[in-house]
Amino acid sequence: MTSRKYIELKNFFIFNSEYGSKEGEELNKILYYFPSSDGTEIQIKNVGLVEGIVQFTDTFKPSKQVSSLHTDKLRQLYFQPETNFWIVMTLYVPLITKIKENVSSNEYLGDDLQDNVYESILSQAYHMYRLFWGSFCHTIDTYEIDVLKSRLDIFFSAYLKTLKLENADILNVFAGVQYLPLDKQTFLKVQCFVNKLESTWECIEQITFLYNEHVIWNGIEPNDMQIIYQYLIGTLLPANIETELQGGSMPRNSPFAALKHGRFITGPSDLKHAKSVGTVPKIYLTKNEMLPKEYHLVVYRSLSATMCLFINGNMELNVDFFKKLDEFISPKLTPVVSEIAEYCTKQVISPNVTETIPKYIYFNKMNLAYKSTVHLDNKQTGHISCSKDCLKIMADMKHYNSVLGSSGERIVKTRNDFWVVSKNSNLREFFIVLLQKNANLIEISDEVKKICDSELKGIFFHQF
Amino acid sequence: MNFSGETLDSEYSVSCKKNSNILGFVWSHLNELAIVTDHGIELYTVIPAKKSLKQLKTMSATVQWFVWCPVNKIALLASAHGSQLQPVIIKPGSTTKLAKVDTEQGRMSLERDVTISTLYGIPAVLILRHQSGPQTAEVHVHLLNGPGQAPVKSHVLKLGLSGRFAINIVDDLILVHHQASRSSQVFDIALPGESDGTVKYHVAIAPAKSFKTTAIILPGIVEPQAHICELYSPNWVVFQPDIVIDAKLGCLWHIDICLAELCTQIRDLSLCTQVALKRTNGKTVLLDLLLSTISQPKPPLDKLQESFNHINFVYRDWAENELQSQLASLPSAPLTNTKLVQPRVLIDQNCMFEEIFQKINTENDLRKTEWILISYMSSLSEFGITAQHNMNKLLVMTLAKQQKFTALQQMVQYGVISDSKPLAVFLLSLGNMHPSTTQLALDMLSRLDAREEIQEVLLSENQVLAALKLAQDNAQPRKFLNAAQNAEDDNLLHSVLYYFLNNPQFSVKLKKEERLISYINEYNARFGNYNT
Repeated sequence: MTSRKYIELKNFFIFNSEYGSKEGEELNKILYYFPSSDGTEIQIKNVGLVEGIVQFTDTFKPSKQVSSLHTDKLRQLYFQPETNFWIVMTLYVPLITKIKENVSSNEYLGDDLQDNVYESILSQAYHMYRLFWGSFCHTIDTYEIDVLKSRLDIFFSAYLKTLKLENADILNVFAGVQYLPLDKQTFLKVQCFVNKLESTWECIEQITFLYNEHVIWNGIEPNDMQIIYQYLIGTLLPANIETELQGGSMPRNSPFAALKHGRFITGPSDLKHAKSVGTVPKIYLTKNEMLPKEYHLVVYRSLSATMCLFINGNMELNVDFFKKLDEFISPKLTPVVSEIAEYCTKQVISPNVTETIPKYIYFNKMNLAYKSTVHLDNKQTGHISCSKDCLKIMADMKHYNSVLGSSGERIVKTRNDFWVVSKNSNLREFFIVLLQKNANLIEISDEVKKICDSELKGIFFHQF
Repeated sequence: MNFSGETLDSEYSVSCKKNSNILGFVWSHLNELAIVTDHGIELYTVIPAKKSLKQLKTMSATVQWFVWCPVNKIALLASAHGSQLQPVIIKPGSTTKLAKVDTEQGRMSLERDVTISTLYGIPAVLILRHQSGPQTAEVHVHLLNGPGQAPVKSHVLKLGLSGRFAINIVDDLILVHHQASRSSQVFDIALPGESDGTVKYHVAIAPAKSFKTTAIILPGIVEPQAHICELYSPNWVVFQPDIVIDAKLGCLWHIDICLAELCTQIRDLSLCTQVALKRTNGKTVLLDLLLSTISQPKPPLDKLQESFNHINFVYRDWAENELQSQLASLPSAPLTNTKLVQPRVLIDQNCMFEEIFQKINTENDLRKTEWILISYMSSLSEFGITAQHNMNKLLVMTLAKQQKFTALQQMVQYGVISDSKPLAVFLLSLGNMHPSTTQLALDMLSRLDAREEIQEVLLSENQVLAALKLAQDNAQPRKFLNAAQNAEDDNLLHSVLYYFLNNPQFSVKLKKEERLISYINEYNARFGNYNT
């Protein structure tokens, strides 16, 4: 009999090594600690240990700072987002317990916990915080430490619950964005609509336009988009689709009520009776690593389209503004969306789930676009169309990609006849999983070439 | 009577049929005279040699009065108090009756209310209809473009006034002068209007306006005096197409339309574009109008786009005709006589670029330039017109100057910016601003299958092996060996040199050509002797 324990979060804490340097004041170092059930003594001990490791490894003057600590049962990941601020995440290594003749033996699967994947999760946690609250230093400079502490507490207590540690994989490393393939004319319609909005309201500085979960137009910098996309896809939109399905937000009591599709997701949900603007998150975008700029994130959804309006943070929002905005958007958006929908229905290809058909993941570092036929949804629910091992191999390959230089290719064969191919060229990465019994390298190369020719049409990608 | 100088040279006389009253005569063609009587038309030709007239043709019809159009050689014969209107075409030596103008049963009209002229190259009969009661007057336009030039009532102009009117046609615009209000309304039958399937109803394109006052200089006793002419005076007589005569003052005027002024009266940009596109001198006016609209702090993108669509509609048709005539003029194709009809106002991409985009203050308002440019380019794309290089380049530059490289990527990837080698080279030159442009350029070159150029790019990035793989048998050994030698990478030099040595196509050349031997020597210097 065997039982399994999966990857789990042991603790997560944020501290500043400059604070509380005197003995007895160590608790001041800690800005946030999870779980709160750990007593202060344990908290101080854990922070002390991390400080020790950081200082110890620093004496060897490594090219980059220590990022993880491997032990049999635990994995600790370190991230220093701002000077002297450390975020630490400790995870339980997955474990298989085998019971044979009443003797149980533990096998820790350290290789299943991939550093680069979980490092990405850690850094994403910070960036998500920064999106809503700005940098740690910024908060301390404007307010004081207690404000930072309470903000961290509010944010991370909720955020840590949403972490999907079990199904994390190479996609977390990419943190990419899915674009919608669209013809030029329809794209231009979206673009013109966006321009009209921007030209009519000066306070709307940027707009991002999504259809379902795919981006059509993105006006903000890729590194900001990465986080906002995760927020939209991971948190905001799923929550809203649920309420839509329950019919809660759309009153259907009157059959004569004019059919109106659009509404604000952030902002007043019922415009007719709204007295306040509702909750509109304020976000900080760090365009080109310059000073972060404050924006109101107003999200409008109509049919399957979602529009994010980035409104200058200095602007006072009021109900009237939303009403005018709705009047402007609603009639113009509907024809655009139906045109997109029409185009999309022409292009629908049912996903192939069978194992023998090659699967691939594509990622372009320049616009963060990714495409995956491995993942059957983008909610990290673990619905994948190839074995988990192959995904792990991909993540490992990705980790050592820098060795290849600007272009190269690697092929791995697994014991169960899977071939995993990683290619990169022209700042893009392409991973392919093939299942072919008794194949040789030449056959696999030919197969890969075929896939590249059909899937990567229209871009420059080295042929090997 | 024939005059030579001031003296009477010769005299002809002709008498028409008995019992006929002459209503008038017209010189229909050279040396041809048509006499309209109450019994019909008699056509004569003048024979100067014999000093006599010869009857060519007679046509009988009951006529009470008639209206003559010298341009189209059409006489409109009225009978039954103007309720029967019969157009007759007078050709050299013959007359042809056309179908009757389809008027309402028993509806009479006066001679002064009927005008015959030309609208957009089609003969047209315009009948002024006074309405009784609270309704206001209308002008019914019958175009002679039905089968066999039959008149078809196709437009109704709603005047919104009643009283005395006069009609002129200037540049295919219908001017309806109203005496009581001393103003004129302007109509254009080419504009869209409310339609009941056969008849389109039009309203004036701009608020009624009066003529610009005019003055004549009268020689005075002390100094010349200016006499301000009375406008819309009861002494006015109008003649087609654009002549006004003041019988009392003895003045004859031509009416001109001040298009720029007219356009300022039209609020709607899209409508204004349609009006200007149909006018003979509309181009400069339209361009000025566009430029001034764009120069506003918040240009109305919606309206501009509509305006661009009208412009590009004309542009597309012209471009298609042009293409067809080029195809037809191929030596193999039979010669066609269809002469190209040049549109009155043609604004092509070069014109847009020079007259609009180069005149916008691009440095200060990049965002606006981007909006207008996208709007124009989507209109082009809607009409299936390929954007020219200068447009594409301007868009790339506008985006790059704003550091909008994400946007640039999307524009290229969704095909808004079309591929071309010059543009790829331009994108490459932006590579130092953002790495993504190099990627875009390489993609573009790959789509254009420009292998040579890709090789050069890769070589410049020191990706010697990648370039070599791409070149395959067309490689120039010297170029690659040189790059490998300069890369300070011994392995690379080894790989490149051995690639050429092991390829029979290159190995002989390599050992013979003096310039290439130096690379073997270099290799030997680094690795010891290369043995064949």
